[in-house]
Amino acid sequence: MGLDFVGQGAGETDGNIITTTIDKVVNWGRKNSLWPMPFGTACCAIEMMATLASKFDLSRFGSEAIRFSPRQSDLLIVSGRISIKMMPVLKRIYDQMPDPKWVISMGACASCGGVFDTYTLIQGVDQFIPVDVYIPGCPPRPEDLIDAVLQVQQKITSGASPKGVEVVYE
Amino acid sequence: MNEENQVEEQPKPLILEKLEANHADALLAQDASRGTVVVVIHKDQVSAVLEYLKTDPELAYTFLVDVTAVDNSQMESELMQFDYARFMVVYQLYSFQGQCRLRVKVPVHENDLNIPSATGLWKSANWLERETYDMFGINFEGHPDLRRILMPDDFEGHPLRKDYPLRGRGERESFNFEKQNV
Repeated sequence: MGLDFVGQGAGETDGNIITTTIDKVVNWGRKNSLWPMPFGTACCAIEMMATLASKFDLSRFGSEAIRFSPRQSDLLIVSGRISIKMMPVLKRIYDQMPDPKWVISMGACASCGGVFDTYTLIQGVDQFIPVDVYIPGCPPRPEDLIDAVLQVQQKITSGASPKGVEVVYE
Repeated sequence: MNEENQVEEQPKPLILEKLEANHADALLAQDASRGTVVVVIHKDQVSAVLEYLKTDPELAYTFLVDVTAVDNSQMESELMQFDYARFMVVYQLYSFQGQCRLRVKVPVHENDLNIPSATGLWKSANWLERETYDMFGINFEGHPDLRRILMPDDFEGHPLRKDYPLRGRGERESFNFEKQNV
């Protein structure tokens, strides 16, 4: 969290003052309360449900509050194949999520089309929305999704901006 | 010694007997082997035959299970069989009364893709015929709302035809977000 104790050995303020930066405190909060927006269209969504349920229990990592409204969520989990008819819906949901927002592309289909190299399927959602973390697998195990969430948390902690945000340095 | 002679003759299904008696001129082919009754019907009489199958009190095929089509363009033997008809529209029927199934096939030529709609007989034909239109381009005459049902509205072509490329014609890379209603 970037906490520093000040006033070491200076009498009554000894160890009672801590300093940090606003960014680090805010990111600490964001990291531990990711609210996922599930976009489950195929078997990956079944694994996602298992991840959220008691056996794997994603709430251990602070992101059990699944929101089915994009306006209340900050982590989009694309789990499943996306057809050309579905892609505008996904794009609109991504656009409706408030910044900052992160995207996990779960499984082979969402990441590259998987085995469905056909006329109707998007060959990777990253052609249309920015993706922060890709998960390989068909479908990935719940541990893989947990790992991806932890990687998103790492990314937040490190202060790196989400892939979809253009940072303007002043 | 001869195994064929030892097989007992199965009794002819009632449906085939009744069709031979009432619609013999529409019946192009029939098959009842392996427990599946299949009849091939001439396109001009498909409405009359389907209505007969549904309304006849002894047959009562009241349940339309599926409507689909087959593209035979890469199967020379199938094409030759019915005067080079490229498509075969397939109706799957079920009779709750007789607890038996029936497959009705209708050859459709590529240069005349019109076929009468079955929506007047079975309401369930509505979406099934829309799917067949979407995937094969069969035009069901008299259908109340013949639009695409699976592919986007601005999609061009009929993807389940054998001459449609598997990876498409570039539509998956170049489709337009804004044009589609979300």
